[in-house]
Amino acid sequence: MSMLGPAASVLIAESLTVRFGRRIALSDVTLAIPEGRVVSVIGPPGAGKTTLLRSFNRMNELLPRASTTGAARFRGIDLHDARVDPVDLRRRIGMVLAETSLFPGSVFDNVAFGLRAQGVEEDLHGRAEEALTRVGLWTVGAEILDAHALDLPAGDQRRLCMARTLALEPVVLLLDEPTGHLDPVSAAAIESLIHALREDCTVVVATCDPALAGRISDLTAHLDGGGLMEYGPTRELFTNPRNSRTEAYLTGRAR
Amino acid sequence: MRRNGGATRDAGAVPEDAGAATEGAEAGRNGAEGAGGEAEAGRNGVGAGWRGRGVGGGGEGAGRWILLGCTVAAVAVALAVVGTLAVETLRFFAFVSPLRLVVDSAWAPLAEEPGFGILSLVAGTAQIAAGATLLAIPVGLMTAVFLEFYAPGRIAAALGGAVDFLAMIPAVVYGCLALNFVTPAIAGVWPDVGGFNGLSAFLALAAMILPTIVSMSRRALRAAPAPLLADGLALGASRGRVLVRLVLPAAWLGILGGVLLALARAVGETMIVTLAAGNPQNLDWSPLEGVRTLTTHLAQASLGDLPAGTLQYGAAFAVAAALFALGVALHTLGSGLVSRGEDGGRHGAGVHP
Repeated sequence: MSMLGPAASVLIAESLTVRFGRRIALSDVTLAIPEGRVVSVIGPPGAGKTTLLRSFNRMNELLPRASTTGAARFRGIDLHDARVDPVDLRRRIGMVLAETSLFPGSVFDNVAFGLRAQGVEEDLHGRAEEALTRVGLWTVGAEILDAHALDLPAGDQRRLCMARTLALEPVVLLLDEPTGHLDPVSAAAIESLIHALREDCTVVVATCDPALAGRISDLTAHLDGGGLMEYGPTRELFTNPRNSRTEAYLTGRAR
Repeated sequence: MRRNGGATRDAGAVPEDAGAATEGAEAGRNGAEGAGGEAEAGRNGVGAGWRGRGVGGGGEGAGRWILLGCTVAAVAVALAVVGTLAVETLRFFAFVSPLRLVVDSAWAPLAEEPGFGILSLVAGTAQIAAGATLLAIPVGLMTAVFLEFYAPGRIAAALGGAVDFLAMIPAVVYGCLALNFVTPAIAGVWPDVGGFNGLSAFLALAAMILPTIVSMSRRALRAAPAPLLADGLALGASRGRVLVRLVLPAAWLGILGGVLLALARAVGETMIVTLAAGNPQNLDWSPLEGVRTLTTHLAQASLGDLPAGTLQYGAAFAVAAALFALGVALHTLGSGLVSRGEDGGRHGAGVHP
């Protein structure tokens, strides 16, 4: 894609291998994610997409028997360096999980949770308004703040999950299956939201749906069985895949 | 011949049975001369049907009767216990107004002017049970949180097993340890402590109910929705904050239920309290003095020779009924909260971030 000028890498994986006990979830993956782009990670379930995303904000270490070799870097800093505080890291590299759940309570409570955890007590309403506006939930005005989060429709709940993370103004946003289990209208809303987000942050999306990756991302990585099959500009990868398994996956011939 | 028909229908699933029943009926009919033959035919037919079922049906029918019989016996025992308690207690109340349980200042059914004030016993029970539970709650809850959220898998399994070990120790062993080791240790701090004292009893009792609180709290914490922890951490909250703000509020109903079940055990415990707190009859709030509870009083009263039908005999039943009612109430409330907590936990009810 010629429109992509050279951009510094915000996230880098170097020979990254993640094991859970004996199972290898991610195997020797090396890739760089340029700042200010939307990058999709595609592949079948179990390919290691979620594990790759979770490597970038050190969420894997919360899972039992996880071990990581190789390096994951954020702006050149090794994330597993002893000086890196995972709590601080997760504020800068925000993540919306695939199996996400809103906290019972109001919409405001949900958006304010992360801010309060950071020690932010000032202008919580203003920040909540900003985040909710970005995801398109502010259309009804301030009364949305008092709505019970779990009463929202599924699509709005997903948007609220994104607002909750965006309120922290992350540098990178990791989205795991952002349109999974959503109706087409809600999925389209999330999609246009991702488009809008590229203005302020780098977005990494894990998805089973190659068509979504084709529409939203500048770069696409294809994972299979924990290994990186192919990584490159989305148009190139879709029109002229070099890896035969990538070609098979994109055309729906394998798995 | 209706009984024959019945036997045949019962055994209908197994052809041989049906054959046997018909054969029996046939034999009866052959020898039938009048009413006696008719009756015999019926008996034969049914007999053949039963025999046939025993052989051809693999004894399933007989097995079912044994199962039903045992179940009826178990239910009968439960009803008999409740019935006896109710009858004897009501009989006692026919002589002594229930009001006197709270009005009388002391429990002295043997005195010249008998007193039936149950409050001192209830107070003793409350002191011991509440003391033990209040001690066990923080220790148990923090242990549960550590095992569920901080300890690595294998270490959690090993430490959890060690805590469960406390549940396998018989109460009398706790009592002996309390009397012979805990009380002397307390005397090292407060020299004027009694040989029997409430403090030693509720320390031992706290150890005994600790595994209940730990395991019920772990269960409640596990029932809290899994994404709460991951979502909270992904939003840059510390583990402690996620636990306090999200996970514990989602689990608190179940934890409270577990606490009530533990309290029920503490209220019903007799041996530890008898051995550690003695059984003096006084209402002294100092935990350094001995304490008499509903259970230890009942044990004491039942050990003596209580002539049936006397007031003292009835009084023992009144105490037993009070104890029983308290136990039922705590158990019902506790189990109710535990199951509500597990339903609510899945939906995240009660969380206020």
